[in-house]
Amino acid sequence: MKITEILKKDCIDLNLKSRDKESVIKELISLLIKREVVTDKEGFFNSVWEREKTYTTGIGMGIAIPHGKSRYVKHAAVAFGKSVQGVDFKSLDNKPAHLLFLIAVPEKSDELHLKLISALSRKLMHEEVRKSLYDADTPEKVLEALSKEV
Amino acid sequence: MSKRIVAVTACPTGIAHTYMAAEQLSMAAKKLEIEIKVETQGSVGKENKLTEEDIKAADAVIIAAATKVDKSRFAGKPVLEVSVEQAIKDAESVIKKALKMKKPIDFVEKVDEIHKEMKASRTGAYKHLMTGVSYMIPFVVAGGILIAISFAFGINAFQQEGSLPAALMQIGGDSAFALMVPILSGYIAYSIADRPGLVPGMVGGMLAVSTGAGFLGGIISGFLAGYTIEFLKKSIKLPKTLEGIMPVLVLPVLSSLIVGLLMIYGIGTPIKSIMTGLTNWLTGMSKTNAVLLGLILGLMMAFDMGGPVNKAAYTFATGLLASEIYAPMAAVMAAGMTPPLGLALATLIAKDRFTKEEIEAGKAAWVLGISFITEGAIPFAAADPFRVIPSIMVGSAVTGALSMLFGATLRVPHGGIFVLTIPNAVGNLAMYIISIIAGTVITALMIAILKKKIS
Repeated sequence: MKITEILKKDCIDLNLKSRDKESVIKELISLLIKREVVTDKEGFFNSVWEREKTYTTGIGMGIAIPHGKSRYVKHAAVAFGKSVQGVDFKSLDNKPAHLLFLIAVPEKSDELHLKLISALSRKLMHEEVRKSLYDADTPEKVLEALSKEV
Repeated sequence: MSKRIVAVTACPTGIAHTYMAAEQLSMAAKKLEIEIKVETQGSVGKENKLTEEDIKAADAVIIAAATKVDKSRFAGKPVLEVSVEQAIKDAESVIKKALKMKKPIDFVEKVDEIHKEMKASRTGAYKHLMTGVSYMIPFVVAGGILIAISFAFGINAFQQEGSLPAALMQIGGDSAFALMVPILSGYIAYSIADRPGLVPGMVGGMLAVSTGAGFLGGIISGFLAGYTIEFLKKSIKLPKTLEGIMPVLVLPVLSSLIVGLLMIYGIGTPIKSIMTGLTNWLTGMSKTNAVLLGLILGLMMAFDMGGPVNKAAYTFATGLLASEIYAPMAAVMAAGMTPPLGLALATLIAKDRFTKEEIEAGKAAWVLGISFITEGAIPFAAADPFRVIPSIMVGSAVTGALSMLFGATLRVPHGGIFVLTIPNAVGNLAMYIISIIAGTVITALMIAILKKKIS
């Protein structure tokens, strides 16, 4: 299993421009639109936003993982973005989010992709992974940080 | 020996939080030198599933979930429930808190006991029946109340096409009630054979309705379907590569075929001849003793509530309306009202004989009873047929006989309490009402005596 199955280099943006939650999610969605993984920006945004309403995906530690299950998603994929100044994600620890993972999952997904995403979620819990993500200055380094065994 | 913890994590989409919480708990446990096993209930289904041994060996249970997690398997264990966020944010204190929770005394024994109980009830026919009944109750209540509301507009109001009462009748009678027996049958089979049981169970239930076998036929088809699936599962062995077609092709087709044919030829055909026989017999009876006829009509109305015997009595009485004979119709309707009314009364005077669910259903049974919707008694009868059916039969028989004795008459074939207010619809109204009350009280008393206490 390889992280590159779900996270492509061109879906990594190391310098996100948006300052608020709504627009940063949309900015990340655009990355997936470009790759034609997501077919409808508004449609997918709505399911992410709905999910966000139940409780925030800003899990603290500078991380947010907005995600949505939607019929506008062709196959499971991830977009990653870094925000230097941080985005207020109403996170659990009230601190801004700097590392943002947008996860897109179709209504029906194959197990392999879902397992990759669950493995990714698990990895983010490890401090050394987060540290290498903060330090990563190229998409290659991001992928490398996420490929490391923990 | 280090402490052991088992945990379950789950979140609505099952995409990220489930796994993050699991990882945080595992990391924190490692740090605290505690053994942990975390079951994740996410989008891929249950992973790292907790076994009975895992749970038995655990000192505490942590459930970090934003969705419903089944807790029954943790009975006897200290269980700490937290939100998924809490587990992500501060797994360490969650674990510490869980370990501080008090263990129920002798929890090992208790777990074993519950386990044994579960096993015993799992195989018991009673458990299967109760599963079917508990799924059926809301259908009976929804359908019955909507039909009653339709009657409230006037007993014939539903015949006006396109009107609200007609719509209510279509929702309650043609839809909710039509599902009642298939649901009962389907979930009996489901309880026996899990998911594959649903198809033959529901199909068999539909056939019980269409062949006129009623809810008793539905109980038969439910058990038939459940055990047919069990039998097929055991006797058909497919090569590994073809195993996938078992649940989608082999089991549903074969089981529906078997159950369906048995229902049509084994049950449907005899039922037809029973109906014809009963109708002829009743016609003969009508010439002899009126009170005896009332008694028999009462027994028949309560026996299967919408099944062939009930239908024979009802059809017989409505048939007589055309010949301007109105007394049997009065007896039939009164006897059809007392089963739900009697049960409703019983849930009040003998609360310890009923489950909570049944006591709630008892409230709806009042409305169904006064509306002459005999089906209101079915959930109770299906749950405990050998005690409830004789009780309601006795009550209905008394009501039927009294109604005939008092010479009560009824000129319309349905409507329950709503017809009592229509001038001239009922003859000898006061005594008619007394007949109904008498049967209701007798039914309730019989049930209170016969039914066992629920421990």
